[in-house]
Amino acid sequence: MPPRERGGEWETALVSSVPLVEKYRPRRLSEVVGNEDVKDQFLRWVTSWSRGKPKYKAALLVGPPGVGKTSLVYAYAKEAGYEVVEVNASDRRGAEEIKRIVGESSRQATLGATRKRVILVDEVDGLVGHEEVGGVGALASIIEKTEVPIVMVANDPWSPRLAALRSRAEMMKFGKISKRDIMTRLRTIADAEGIKVSDEVLERLAEKAGGDLRSAINDMEALSAGTGRIDPELMVTLGARDREKDIFEALGAIFGADTVNPGRIAALNLDMDSETLFTWVFDNLFTQIKDPGAIAEATSFLSEADLHLSRARKRRVWGLLKYGNCILASAPGIVKRRSGKGGERFAFPSKIRFMQETGPRRQVMRSILGKIAAKSHMSTSKASYHMLPYLRVMVGAGRLGVAEFYELDGEEVKVLKEGITVPMRGRREVRRGTRKS
Amino acid sequence: MLGILSGMDVNESMPWVEKYRPKTLDEVIDQEEVVKSLRTVLRTKVMPHMLFAGPPGVGKTATAHAFARDLFGPEYIDVGLFMEINASDERGIDTIREKVKNFARTIPLGGVGFKILLLDESDQLTDEAQHAFRRVMEQFSSTCRFILAANYSSRIIEPIQSRCTVFRFRPIDERHVVEALKRISARENLSINEGATNAIVNLSEGDLRRAINLLQVSATLSSKIDEEVVYRVAGVARAADVRRLLELAVAGRLVEARDALRNVLYVNGVSERELLVQIYREVFYLSIPEEKKLKAVSLLGEIDYRISQGATPEVQLVTFLSHLASYASEGKGR
Repeated sequence: MPPRERGGEWETALVSSVPLVEKYRPRRLSEVVGNEDVKDQFLRWVTSWSRGKPKYKAALLVGPPGVGKTSLVYAYAKEAGYEVVEVNASDRRGAEEIKRIVGESSRQATLGATRKRVILVDEVDGLVGHEEVGGVGALASIIEKTEVPIVMVANDPWSPRLAALRSRAEMMKFGKISKRDIMTRLRTIADAEGIKVSDEVLERLAEKAGGDLRSAINDMEALSAGTGRIDPELMVTLGARDREKDIFEALGAIFGADTVNPGRIAALNLDMDSETLFTWVFDNLFTQIKDPGAIAEATSFLSEADLHLSRARKRRVWGLLKYGNCILASAPGIVKRRSGKGGERFAFPSKIRFMQETGPRRQVMRSILGKIAAKSHMSTSKASYHMLPYLRVMVGAGRLGVAEFYELDGEEVKVLKEGITVPMRGRREVRRGTRKS
Repeated sequence: MLGILSGMDVNESMPWVEKYRPKTLDEVIDQEEVVKSLRTVLRTKVMPHMLFAGPPGVGKTATAHAFARDLFGPEYIDVGLFMEINASDERGIDTIREKVKNFARTIPLGGVGFKILLLDESDQLTDEAQHAFRRVMEQFSSTCRFILAANYSSRIIEPIQSRCTVFRFRPIDERHVVEALKRISARENLSINEGATNAIVNLSEGDLRRAINLLQVSATLSSKIDEEVVYRVAGVARAADVRRLLELAVAGRLVEARDALRNVLYVNGVSERELLVQIYREVFYLSIPEEKKLKAVSLLGEIDYRISQGATPEVQLVTFLSHLASYASEGKGR
């Protein structure tokens, strides 16, 4: 998940003033929440510049979004009187830009500029180019020459793009902010802002944030906007911060269900429509449940859920959704529990991958069927049934005349032939049962 | 591997179903009563709206074309007197109405005084769309006669049926299928024995299009066609994909079966309706106990109905496949 622009999402919701995340950005190192050891490490590194040449002229701050990587730099700069020159790698890509700013700042440093500077390169994992060309390579060579501290920020420390930078920078790893720390910080801000909110709600907010302090503050601000308070019932309106993580948690809850709970889907609070969730559950069924009888039973339930959900959508009778959702949320777990064990890791739905992978072929096939339909006076659906199977064998056997008749192009002929084995005389194909009378 | 084909002419091979499509009513095979009535129309030039009802591959569309050709002459389409719309591929009744409007708003000069519009696969329209289409028929009936083709007349709403003369097309009689096969084989220099013609007759079940397709596919394998050739090509061409996915399910390889199903549905573009028909044909040949076949048929009926109610075809069909797997594993357990 890419880091979010600070406060940007809620700007329209707020009539006045600065977003809370900006307003309460730490001004001193001590105000930075959590990651105490990283703070120490950063302090050691940055002060080593005044004691002569540091071992690494750059620092690489890595960690998930919203844990205070950028805030740490700004807090220190404010406290120690540095100017922060920020380059957002994903905004202003390219080596030249970075080189210009870094070069200029380095020169000024050697000229003994009055104000100390630190260069902050945000989102370096968004830099284009490999080691030799483009942003990363340029940045690496700039680090060699720089006379000012360079701080780089990234989410994924193991991004292959960062290989050249990892060896030239001191890596500082940020962890998630603990639930407790998030709650404390939310309480401080809420009290300062006069937001009426219970500890229970703060706990839910902190839980939902999953270690991301920024999103927790943003959530609190959004939910209290206009009223100055947070009604516990409002919590369900919050979308998921991190769909992937949440969907895997939801799958765990669904396949772990042991009672029929009509409210389960709502409680999962997924930022996902039931159609998509259905695909995730249905595609994971075969790895979660192993016994054939149990699979059949589970699919029976889910096919009934599908019927309810489809009716609700087709007829726009949303009251029918609850029946489908109840079955969808409860049946997999209940069936799985009885069938015992199983349970490989949950996987991304194969349906989505399938549709992506077959996209080009499906397009060619649509074009083929359109041509057959037009010339043979039938719908594309009938063409796929009444003509396509025969044409595939004919074309597969080299009878290209039929392809010419339908004006198929080379690509279409290729797709048509795919997966066809031309039956040969003398090779036996045994067939169960018989159609002969 | 195409060695045995190397001696053949690979160029002269347009689809025989097109090559031997009837051009005039004289060439329409079987369907004597229909043809007789249509001849009366040709003579009197008094044409009612018509509904052609019957199974696939028995000549509904071909007869409509042949009739129009006999009535208007060989240029019947180019001179703008005949138009064909496929209800199944159109975006909706509004598109159809627009097309009809553009076609039928001008009165044809001279001739018989009306045009003909063929609405093929008209039973694919929803009831609401059919009601709308009925009004279109009313609106343009002074300049245009309508022929509706459908597999089932019962799926056409009463108000339309009552405005149409219903022609019932029957499955092509065995005798006529054999005749057609022999005639085409002679023209294509094929030798085909009696076992082979019987095999094709059995496999095609009165569907002449399927019979001719089977003959042509057999001819790609050998110019001497016997029973074995027919069954071999039929095995590949007809429902090979469907049989494979069913057999994967019976073997308990459900994930592969599901992927094969997706391939049939989404890549090959087979509609769920057609797929259900194919599955029904194949269920009886599966290696599961007989009473489980009955269960399977019953379940197939259930999911067929659900899909018609708007349920998701893939989900319903995977459910069916997983039950096949379950039936097969129960069978082994005993």
